[in-house]
Amino acid sequence: MEHSLFSKPRDLFLDVVNPKDYVHIDSISHIYQSLKSSVQKPLKMILLFGRPGTGKSMLLHKLHHDLSKYQKVFMFDIPIVDEDDFLRVLAERIFTYSSHEMITLTRFLEIAKDAAYSDTPIVLLDEAQLYSSSLMEKIRLISDARVIKFVITLHKTDKEEIIAKEHFQTRIWESIELQNATAEELKIYVQKKLLKANCFDVANMFNDKNIKLVASLTKGNFRETNKLLFSLFSLYCWYEENNPALIQYNALKSKWIEMAAIHTGLIHA
Amino acid sequence: MLNIQNLERRWLKYKIKSYSPYILGVVALLTLLIAVAFSKNDIQREPKETALSPSNPTPEASSTLLEPSMDFIRSFQTAAPSNEPPKATLQKNAQPVREPLPIPKLVTIPPPDLSDEKSFSLNRNESKLDIETLERRFKETSNANLGLFIARYHYDHGNYSEAYNFALKTNSISNKIEESWIIFAKSLVKLGRAEQAKKTLQFYITDSNSEAARALLDTIERGTFK
Repeated sequence: MEHSLFSKPRDLFLDVVNPKDYVHIDSISHIYQSLKSSVQKPLKMILLFGRPGTGKSMLLHKLHHDLSKYQKVFMFDIPIVDEDDFLRVLAERIFTYSSHEMITLTRFLEIAKDAAYSDTPIVLLDEAQLYSSSLMEKIRLISDARVIKFVITLHKTDKEEIIAKEHFQTRIWESIELQNATAEELKIYVQKKLLKANCFDVANMFNDKNIKLVASLTKGNFRETNKLLFSLFSLYCWYEENNPALIQYNALKSKWIEMAAIHTGLIHA
Repeated sequence: MLNIQNLERRWLKYKIKSYSPYILGVVALLTLLIAVAFSKNDIQREPKETALSPSNPTPEASSTLLEPSMDFIRSFQTAAPSNEPPKATLQKNAQPVREPLPIPKLVTIPPPDLSDEKSFSLNRNESKLDIETLERRFKETSNANLGLFIARYHYDHGNYSEAYNFALKTNSISNKIEESWIIFAKSLVKLGRAEQAKKTLQFYITDSNSEAARALLDTIERGTFK
């Protein structure tokens, strides 16, 4: 099993957010560049939104990875839902102010003023739809005071759009929307990921028909594609060990792609 | 943990379910065809009965058969005048269409096509950079599978001389990759060297007995290769 041809490709599609696994796709690269340039502008807030699995978290991690080399950037990928904790953790991580007492918003702004950073620190908040309205209001006030620049990600649903409108409509902010990939983009994503890891023979197995099937099943969603391909290569590992004669090495079997889709719940059978 | 037997069963169920509308459609169509065929048979039988009826000595039967059809003809005649004008216009319309006139000239497609190509070339520039890095990696690693990938990429993008070069390199690294030989021969045909492509394929077929190569040779010899 260890020497399986398919175990490496399988592990590549584990749904883990790692900026080193970031794959350049034309449309996403374009969005990333505009996000990077937005961060340099004197905007108070930047909103990154899209449906779950469109790559928001990955972009945020990539931004953190790239900017942290020369700028004060702080990543909060797990939301701090407790309002008292939020300001305390922020003060501790950004301004190295540790206190066990509750920090009020006024106190927090004073701490920020005392720190007197030449560049406004950037805070990246993932899954911001989990923050309460009152906490969002605090975030808005902090960004208004220009002591911190926030880049936040939101899931795109009707409810969250209302939150976004309420809190950011009157602010100087930029919103960037991420969308699902097309079949052509998905093909580039899958092949680049495989080629990056030297899985040339498996990359060669993907033909246009296979990609179209994957794209139609996952609707171009990166997370769903990762899940589907992880299951697919798990299936290939099983067949390689138990029934290798069934494997065709020139193309992927549509039947097995559909079986993987059944396993991941993309097909209800 | 994967339960392959269970997955296979669920997949079969899913396939039957997904094909069932088509199967039902085909069955419905067949029953409709059969019904039409039977009704035609019935219509053909009916005139026989009427033909037989005059020879029958009973005159009551023949009168009952004729009466309804007379009504139908009458109703048809009353409806006829309203139907006549459209028929005439149709015939009038049909005649000028036969003359070879300006319709083909009006179909001018080029402008949208050109804009499409422009936007496409932008995307290609990005992917061109990628293929260059892959080519560099191929130079370093001499991996036959990567060579095949690049050859296939170039062939798909219409760069036949590049496809030829990379297929050739791939073949020299490993001469057992069928697809690489196929791309090599196809590129040769596209480059106008069909004879060399045939010779290469013949040589490869004697060596490997490849069915795909034989099929390709066939299409080249018949001149049906596109």
